[in-house]
Amino acid sequence: MAAFKRKRGAHATAEKTAKKVKFVVDDGNTEQDAVNEIVVPAPVSMGKWTNKERVLIFSSRGINFRTRHLMQDLRTMMPHSKADTKMDRKDKLFVVNEVCEIKNCNKCIFFEAKKKQDLYMWISNCPHGPSAKFLVQNIHTLAELKMTGNCLKGSRPLLSFDPTFDKEPHYALLKELFIQTFSTPRYHPKSQPFVDHVFTFTIADNRIWFRNYQIIEEDASLVEIGPRFVLNLIKVFQGSFGGPTLYENPSFQSPNLHRRQLRLAAAAKVREKQTLKEMQKVKRTAAKEDLETDVTADVFLTPAEDKPACIQTEPPEPQAGKKHKFKPSKRQRQQMARR
Amino acid sequence: MESAEEESLLGLESEEEEEEGSELSDGELQEAFTKGLLKPGMNVLVDKSKKLVNNVEGLKQCLADFRKDLSWVERLDLTTLPVKDALSQVEGKVSTETNGGPDAEDDFQREMFFYRQAQATVLEALPLMKMHDINTRRPDDYFAEMAKSDQHMQKIRQKLTAKQMILEKSEKAKKLREQRKFGKKVQIEVIQKRQKEKKAMMTAVKKYQKGMSDKLDFLEGDQKKGKDSSGGPSKALNKKGPSAKRKYKDQKFGFGGKKSGKKWNTKESYNDVSGFKARVAHAKGGQKGKKGKQNKRPGKSVRKKMKGRS
Repeated sequence: MAAFKRKRGAHATAEKTAKKVKFVVDDGNTEQDAVNEIVVPAPVSMGKWTNKERVLIFSSRGINFRTRHLMQDLRTMMPHSKADTKMDRKDKLFVVNEVCEIKNCNKCIFFEAKKKQDLYMWISNCPHGPSAKFLVQNIHTLAELKMTGNCLKGSRPLLSFDPTFDKEPHYALLKELFIQTFSTPRYHPKSQPFVDHVFTFTIADNRIWFRNYQIIEEDASLVEIGPRFVLNLIKVFQGSFGGPTLYENPSFQSPNLHRRQLRLAAAAKVREKQTLKEMQKVKRTAAKEDLETDVTADVFLTPAEDKPACIQTEPPEPQAGKKHKFKPSKRQRQQMARR
Repeated sequence: MESAEEESLLGLESEEEEEEGSELSDGELQEAFTKGLLKPGMNVLVDKSKKLVNNVEGLKQCLADFRKDLSWVERLDLTTLPVKDALSQVEGKVSTETNGGPDAEDDFQREMFFYRQAQATVLEALPLMKMHDINTRRPDDYFAEMAKSDQHMQKIRQKLTAKQMILEKSEKAKKLREQRKFGKKVQIEVIQKRQKEKKAMMTAVKKYQKGMSDKLDFLEGDQKKGKDSSGGPSKALNKKGPSAKRKYKDQKFGFGGKKSGKKWNTKESYNDVSGFKARVAHAKGGQKGKKGKQNKRPGKSVRKKMKGRS
């Protein structure tokens, strides 16, 4: 705020001094008027802002609250950004180039929401340069209470990259794109002269992780400010929002496909359970039939030998008495039985 | 003619093999085998891998065209490895970082990796910035608009302090609970000790009464100890907690589980002297502790009635 006011004041006094000078020359007055004037020096950035980068940040229709807040946060973080109204989805993508030209921007960050669930981000260099499309995940905005850091609005960021960015050509191109888009130009009129936060871009699990930290002390103690998100590269194009594809990410899986796979997995589980149940049913009904006839019952049957038919013509002889001569008493008999 | 037919067949079969989910009949498979297309063993249908664009030359060309040669001061970018984590070195953890990036699943490790990368950048950048006269600390009187409003920062501060308070409260509660348990133990011990002394005292008195010992030492011992333990019993009695009736009901009906069939003359129950009331046990303080009338005299009307009867 103070910087802005100063600027306004500076312009006014610049004009005033110019007028006064004219007046003095015409009337030939003494230097008293010139001495009484308090001359406020012109802002330091006058004439020094050479790196004219302007980023257009806007979105398509159908974005949800989180995306909207992320966009606003990016606009807060980047003083060299401009906003625009939502673009209709009926228009083709190359219309974005025209919008950028109208707004006199040379970079563009465009958010596209599909199915109210998936968020895609385009970063492009507007007239002819390369562009990249990402799938954005894990968005956390500035307003989250766990992000406790704070920084000056419009202060310039330090950019920190993973050494992996230098190893692959597509990452090198992305690195250059990020540097040009995210770094605030020096002496930008809306920027603050201090550097008090750092953006980190790291590659992990084939995705690009973005974090924003506030520098508290000179000994590099940091606190996270936010926002934070994860970018999953889909394609890199040679032209802005179109043109021949330079690189396709092999490990990218469209979110639809991902959801479909999850659903198929769940369905497969259910189907397995059903088939198991059916098999059990079949087993139960089938097993009962066999119990009636035991297949192994005949194994040990040995047919008896045929005895010659013996016809008794005489009655059997009477047997000798089987009377016990020494029959034990009733009590003894009981005791023996018990044993 | 035959060769053309064969070729067309071959063509068809090869297409079918590449199609996903096509079911080849046995006859076709046999024909393919005789022609030498299939080898013996397990033949699995393989997806034709999608050819993905990786135009390295194009990328490099594009980069060369796109680059802007700005001085470092304009861009302020650095590529650094993260600062070495002293803790993990000491513990000898596996460094997955050398494989290129941290483990994305382990949240803490991953965030620490990003933090250390930022730290490395800051440490490297500070001397460079000093060279170009850029500050990271703003002067104390420099008031400017911040990215987050003051109101928001207040909210954050409140939340943090609330969290701390909750932590502190829970710590206090834990400590109190521990103290109370300890205090209860101490109380039991003190009471038992006093019981013992009392018993010893009574036996000594009885002995003296019965003429078994001549010494009157037990009197002096009682006086000395009486002075010390005057403050103790009042404190101990205040910590009774819920009343005896409440405790009995809790024990009988509360807290679930089987009540009957448990042991009930255990060491703890024997040592538990909370149900002991000296007044009741020794029949002290007959009528509200010397309050109220002793030998209460009936009122006038009652006396009249009594008089009237007799």
